[in-house]
Amino acid sequence: MAEKILEVKDLVVEFKTDRGKITAVNGVNFEVYKGKTLGIVGESGSGKSVTALSIMRLIPNPPGRVTGGEILYRGQNVLDIPLDDMRTIRGNKIAMIFQEPMTSLNPVFTVGNQIEEVLELHQKNLSKQERTDKAIEMLRLVGIPSPEKRVQEYPHQLSGGMRQRVMIAMSLACEPDILIADEPTTALDVTIQAQILELMKKLQDEMGMGIIMITHDLGVVAETCDDVAVMYCGQIVEQADVKTLFGHPRHPYTKGLIESIPSFDSTTGGEKGRLPTIEGMVPSLFELPQGCNFQNRCAFATEKCKGPHGEPKLEAIGSGQMVRCFHPLS
Amino acid sequence: MSLSAYVIRRLFYVIPVILGVCFLIFIIFNVVSPDPTISMLGKHATKAQVLELREALGLNRPLYMQYVDTVKSALTFDFGRSWSTKQEISEMIKQGAIPSITVTFPAFFLSFIISVALSLFVAFYRGGMLDKSIVFVCVALMSISSLVYILVGQWFFAFKLGLFEISGYEEGFPYFIPYVMLPIVITVILGVGPDVRFYRTVMLDEIYQDYVRTARSKGLGEKTIMFKHVLKNAMVSIITYVVLRIPFLILGSLLIESFFGIPGLGGITLKAVNSSDFPVIKAMAVLSGIATIIFNVITDVLYVVVDPRVKLE
Ligand SMILES: Nc1ncnc2c1ncn2[C@@H]1O[C@H](COP(=O)(O)OP(=O)(O)O)[C@@H](O)[C@H]1O
Ligand code: SF4
Ligand SMILES: [Mg+2]
Repeated sequence: MAEKILEVKDLVVEFKTDRGKITAVNGVNFEVYKGKTLGIVGESGSGKSVTALSIMRLIPNPPGRVTGGEILYRGQNVLDIPLDDMRTIRGNKIAMIFQEPMTSLNPVFTVGNQIEEVLELHQKNLSKQERTDKAIEMLRLVGIPSPEKRVQEYPHQLSGGMRQRVMIAMSLACEPDILIADEPTTALDVTIQAQILELMKKLQDEMGMGIIMITHDLGVVAETCDDVAVMYCGQIVEQADVKTLFGHPRHPYTKGLIESIPSFDSTTGGEKGRLPTIEGMVPSLFELPQGCNFQNRCAFATEKCKGPHGEPKLEAIGSGQMVRCFHPLS
Repeated sequence: MSLSAYVIRRLFYVIPVILGVCFLIFIIFNVVSPDPTISMLGKHATKAQVLELREALGLNRPLYMQYVDTVKSALTFDFGRSWSTKQEISEMIKQGAIPSITVTFPAFFLSFIISVALSLFVAFYRGGMLDKSIVFVCVALMSISSLVYILVGQWFFAFKLGLFEISGYEEGFPYFIPYVMLPIVITVILGVGPDVRFYRTVMLDEIYQDYVRTARSKGLGEKTIMFKHVLKNAMVSIITYVVLRIPFLILGSLLIESFFGIPGLGGITLKAVNSSDFPVIKAMAVLSGIATIIFNVITDVLYVVVDPRVKLE
């Protein structure tokens, strides 16, 4: 078994809005292992980004706040430590890249400057020259051609894919234990997407960090992940290793997601995994139903699912598989 | 394209703009404005007197010649003589510019530094009591008439406490200092309110950008994020706003100069307007037009320097 580096326990995140309080993340549990990739998959609004930002302690407060649970990085609860200590973890031990490569870099500093900045912060023993050399080396590592030249360029001189490579270079400059990638390829076109995912996998093999791959695209999960958590309305509804999840999904929502991937096998071909479509609407977090949150879209819903017995619990079913459903698929 | 090539090209574009501005000023002063001789000679002047004066003032020359004169004056800064004082106007400008600048330049730099610092500060503590109180004070300062500051300043700080001179001016450093202190303070007070509010908005816009989230995720502290990442981006907007004001600094403030008896260009302009001293008013119009054009070029160049996204085309 690989070394466990991160453990999220019963995480609850709430937002106070004009229309009232919502629970964007509601009792989420998962673990991240060295050298392994955990996928978090779910439709837009299911709480993936909020989960990721909680780990970095970057939930905007107000309106948001972590109201319950623990986030244990190497056994230490990062929710408890002083902010100054958290800053020595961010970008150093736990790094993050975002969905928006076009706007995530600062437009008025060179990419070299922005990579050197993170080194200056966390690797104080490096001289200025060493930082510059390391920045160039990182750019080369992420496959940016003529990095000696590119290091002096500004973000607007690079394409979206190149900028995401720069983000990856920056996030991995301090060789973090964990890389959180929040929909890193959603904004990129298909061929670039494949290149970036491949790059991340290659770098993981070389550097051995654990990755949390957040996506709404099961195609990405199939290509990159070892384990998967499927999120719906702020909760995990099914969790398993990749093979089990695709081979034998037990939650009706997971099954629906898998079935709605267009041409599932052609992940290397031209077709990009589209936003899966399952009939019906995700319920609003302001008016979640009694019972199971998925009942209005579920073909297997019974009276039991509609309330009297409360909501279904996430329970172990078979080896290592967990499902939140009163009537798991066989 | 290199920066110097860009500057040269921008300067070429200035030529037609100067011709256009001169044309506009020529139309206003030489074509559509009422005959100045009427106000100079009074209603009871004879035809002969009027004709004689028009001849003396060059108003009988062909119109195109008068336009050429306007352009020539813009290029040589030779604006002829004042109708009322008979002084060389270029000489008057030279003498008036210094008192004006001794008030406006320090006031401009002080209020720029104070406004940027305050707005960084309030943006840092956004939403808190400090932010709200400073914004409140800014609005309060803006709502008070400038006359109140002038009168209270002159009566209380200058007359009662004797901290500054009430009015007047003395040439040469450091003799002018006691005369310009109060005008500077008042100019700063008048400027800081709107500036802080504008800069604060610019900075708050930046704080919610994605690159700030990235900076936080790298482990940077809020202070570094404000002073390095946010400030440099905010400066792109702030610089344009600020540099375009510089030409008006030379012309001085009509209000402040007349209340404090400072013999600057503002006061000269005011006197010229009161006595229908057309050449002087016209010289001021040409001067401010040209200064604005030049500082527009400077702004564009600065833009290129501070914002790497601006392409030289
Ligand atoms: N800044 C915020 N203010 C209020 N609500 C928010 C904020 N960020 C997220 N939320 C709420 O949390 C829910 C989950 O958001 P998010 O984690 O971004 O979803 P996704 O799975 O698409 O990444 C959203 O539906 C929204 O209601
Ligand atoms: S609990 Fe009921 S409604 Fe919910 S997923 Fe299972 S079968 Fe469907
Ligand atoms: Mg998201």
